[in-house]
Amino acid sequence: MGPLIPNGIIPIEWDSIIAILIGIAFGFILESSGFSSSRKLAGVFYGYDFAVLKVFFTAGIVALIGIYYMDYLGFLDVAQLYVHPTYLWGAIIGGVIMGVGFVAGGFCPGTSLCAVAIGKIDAIIYVLGIMIGVFIFSEFYPLFDELYTGSFLGNITLVDSLGVSPYWLIFIFAIIAIIAFVVADFVGKKIKKVFY
Amino acid sequence: MINRNLVKVLSFRYPIIAAIFLILAGGLVLLPKYEKQKGIAPQELLNKSTSPERYISTDQLADIIINQDPSYIFVDVRDEESFNKYTLPNAVNIPLKQLFDEDLVMYLNQDQFDVVLFSNDNFYADQAWILCNRLKYKNLHVLKGGLNEWYNTIINPPFPNENMPAQDFELFSARKAASMYFGVAYPEQAKKEVKAPIKTAPKKIVPVKKKKKMPVEGGC
Repeated sequence: MGPLIPNGIIPIEWDSIIAILIGIAFGFILESSGFSSSRKLAGVFYGYDFAVLKVFFTAGIVALIGIYYMDYLGFLDVAQLYVHPTYLWGAIIGGVIMGVGFVAGGFCPGTSLCAVAIGKIDAIIYVLGIMIGVFIFSEFYPLFDELYTGSFLGNITLVDSLGVSPYWLIFIFAIIAIIAFVVADFVGKKIKKVFY
Repeated sequence: MINRNLVKVLSFRYPIIAAIFLILAGGLVLLPKYEKQKGIAPQELLNKSTSPERYISTDQLADIIINQDPSYIFVDVRDEESFNKYTLPNAVNIPLKQLFDEDLVMYLNQDQFDVVLFSNDNFYADQAWILCNRLKYKNLHVLKGGLNEWYNTIINPPFPNENMPAQDFELFSARKAASMYFGVAYPEQAKKEVKAPIKTAPKKIVPVKKKKKMPVEGGC
């Protein structure tokens, strides 16, 4: 049956409308769980708040388990889902830049827009920085082209590259997540409470 | 008023969620695996097989060939020997055994042309049709009745009885015309040798003037 739009159950014209609705819901939940505060987001790097780790890891596990159950029951075809292509070195370097920006600025791109929406000045500066970065990247694209499109590995997933059963991978991933939560709690208790 | 029992349960909320994750993820590992059916869903296959577009009649086919419609590919699924003996004009031979040969499959797995499958009957062509449809190939048709029907209707159309309706006679003449296109000769079409008239010297005709009867003159 699913995915709904590629299989024509929902007409493709609804694509953007659904995206806007999901985006609004996502932004609302980010803001209401406090993710528009750069102090909370940066907390995961300094060890006084692990909400980011917990929320995104939980979301990942819930989605993973849910998708594979739906696939098992025939509601969704995993093989039809879009897998983002991997450009290895581009991803590594981009990830490092994004990580530095995350620690330094205290936002990831999504939460920064969320914080702009509630009028945080640091977030506005942050988004301006993103815009400048986008501008530089597009103006100097020929320089980055080789990095950007090089070391292309195709639309691969962990299941493809490790060659294990996806079900075992999910199980191991769930265990890793729970261990990470326990360790995060343990670290959180050791570190001096920061009021923010 | 605080519900103390609820508070007690909720203080374990993280271990409970963790346990749910483990149970669900473990469930995925332990669930019996089954081979997923690939290709189109049975319901869709059923719809396609009952669709009127599945079959193409010999009359339609003759029309397509005579009008040289470029959007059709004719695929003969019989073996090569039969193909060499007789086939439709411009047909491609893809024997059923070699249906999915890599260099032949491009005729079937495309969406620009309409493909007409045929064999002696429509039996093998139907099998090829089902197999290709399972693989989601598009625009496939089967020649209804196959080459036998083709022979019986187009190449050698039955002459209608005199008590049959006029449409049958029209159909017959259309089929007869089609068969002539495909090279069938009819006895009445064969030219009778007209004997050239032997030229003989024309007789000289000497007009003899008849004596005009004189009108009766006079009289008393």
